[in-house]
Amino acid sequence: MPASPIESLLPWSMMVDALNTGLIVLGPRGEVLLWNAWVVRHSGIEAQAALGNTLESVFDNDLSLSFISALKNVLTYKLPVVLSNVLHRTPLPLYQRPEYAAKGPQVRMPQSLTLVPVRYDSTSADGFLVMLQIADTSSFVKRERVLQSRTEKLSREAVIDGLTGIYNRKYFDQKLAVELSRAQRQKNPLSLVMLDVDYFKKYNDTYGHPAGDRVLQAVVGAVQSQLNRLSDVFARYGGEELIIILPSSDQSGATRIAEKVRQAVLALKLDHARSQVADYITVSLGGATCLGGVVCTETRFLDTVDKALYAAKHCGRNTVQWLSVSDTHATGGYVGNGQDPPASNFYI
Amino acid sequence: MTLSDLQLDALTEVFNVGAGQAAASLSEIVGDEVLLSVPRIQFFDRTDVNAEMLSLQGGRLGAVRQKFGGPFGLDATLLFREEKALEIVQEMLGSQVSVEDLVDFEHEAMCELGNVILNSCLSAIADMLGVSLTSTLPEYSVDGADTVIGKLMSDETQPVVLVLHIDLTIEKRDTQGYLVFLLSSNSLEGLVAALDAFLSRI
Repeated sequence: MPASPIESLLPWSMMVDALNTGLIVLGPRGEVLLWNAWVVRHSGIEAQAALGNTLESVFDNDLSLSFISALKNVLTYKLPVVLSNVLHRTPLPLYQRPEYAAKGPQVRMPQSLTLVPVRYDSTSADGFLVMLQIADTSSFVKRERVLQSRTEKLSREAVIDGLTGIYNRKYFDQKLAVELSRAQRQKNPLSLVMLDVDYFKKYNDTYGHPAGDRVLQAVVGAVQSQLNRLSDVFARYGGEELIIILPSSDQSGATRIAEKVRQAVLALKLDHARSQVADYITVSLGGATCLGGVVCTETRFLDTVDKALYAAKHCGRNTVQWLSVSDTHATGGYVGNGQDPPASNFYI
Repeated sequence: MTLSDLQLDALTEVFNVGAGQAAASLSEIVGDEVLLSVPRIQFFDRTDVNAEMLSLQGGRLGAVRQKFGGPFGLDATLLFREEKALEIVQEMLGSQVSVEDLVDFEHEAMCELGNVILNSCLSAIADMLGVSLTSTLPEYSVDGADTVIGKLMSDETQPVVLVLHIDLTIEKRDTQGYLVFLLSSNSLEGLVAALDAFLSRI
């Protein structure tokens, strides 16, 4: 290697102090031989106080246990060691601004360390030094946190409906499959309630779409006020159609919830001049239950609840209709025949 | 050149001591019990080693590599399947971080895990054989199994391959990996000579 002119121009100690990274050099017994300006700045300890002493005494026994054993290994076996920031948050008591210590307790700087033994005399057992390099990983840790919170936000947004703030159709479809297989495995009943704002098109035509959006948001709020279990899943199924998954709910439980929802929406008393069933905004609800132990596909379940909602529309709106999935009528489409649904299934 | 059963037994014993030290260091870092053992070691010719033979075909491998020097040179690589590596890192972090979010941490943490295991094994050898070793810093890479192993075995100057099967258990979860050492013919002779010297002492 050709001789570099740098040695005559710039003393190595000035170079070492100009580094924007921590450098400590230790002798074969762990005594400090070099303590660069970066380390002074972030430890609050002057080089004069550190030189000739071990790190344990310089840092007043404030070192992490894993650092102490790593250092011992390096001094014994002279093999390089890395201490990642992932597994060792802060091995050394270093701070962004140690001079602020008087103002109160400080948080240690996140750091990653590299300990490299360098042999300068292979004939002597003590002919080596250990270069301890310290990198401040605060910015990585910060970036990591920012990225993580963005990832969380994005994955949350991917399943949330923008207008109403409840789950979207995509999430509902996934969740229904999961809940249905769970219910069948555990032989628990599972219910679905689908609801729809009555004469919503007329409302939009009369009051405008922004007003329609507000109605939808208000209805969502009313439904949410009636759902108090974390396991209930409430989603926008499409347009003005909303849907609720009620795990471990049978016919009576699900229809009770549906009826409470119907009343809560009516109680909002949102004027709807062109509604043919009331002076206010109302909803029609259809419910369906898949009993534990009964084989039921998602398609059939959705088809049934859709028919129940259609039945509620058909028999005057602002009402709740219930159908059993195993009911042969459900797939036969008896509603379309214009028959009245059986009284036992009728809830108001 | 082949090793006698006695030499192989001695080497297995040394690596188990090294694995014990590695486990102790890892337990200290993780704050949970980590068990590590080397159930068997095998010697191969460079051209006979491939992903299929190690049952590592398909998928991706994480590899931590350090080159050791001294009386004999050893090119050491720790191999784990990438998904296993991620699981190990997850166990080591012991947090709710999901495996998908771990990719950023994997590099650093695997470097350190490999560093601890490789250094412990080589320290044990150095202790037992009474030799002094040097090493480069660990390097971590992830690639397809065939690529990783193909690259590893491409060095014609190191025809001898020592393969150690590793059992790593963290929090009752068991993971298998491999420690692969590449040696030149001279290094193998050096290692065997040091083993013989050790065996003659006991």
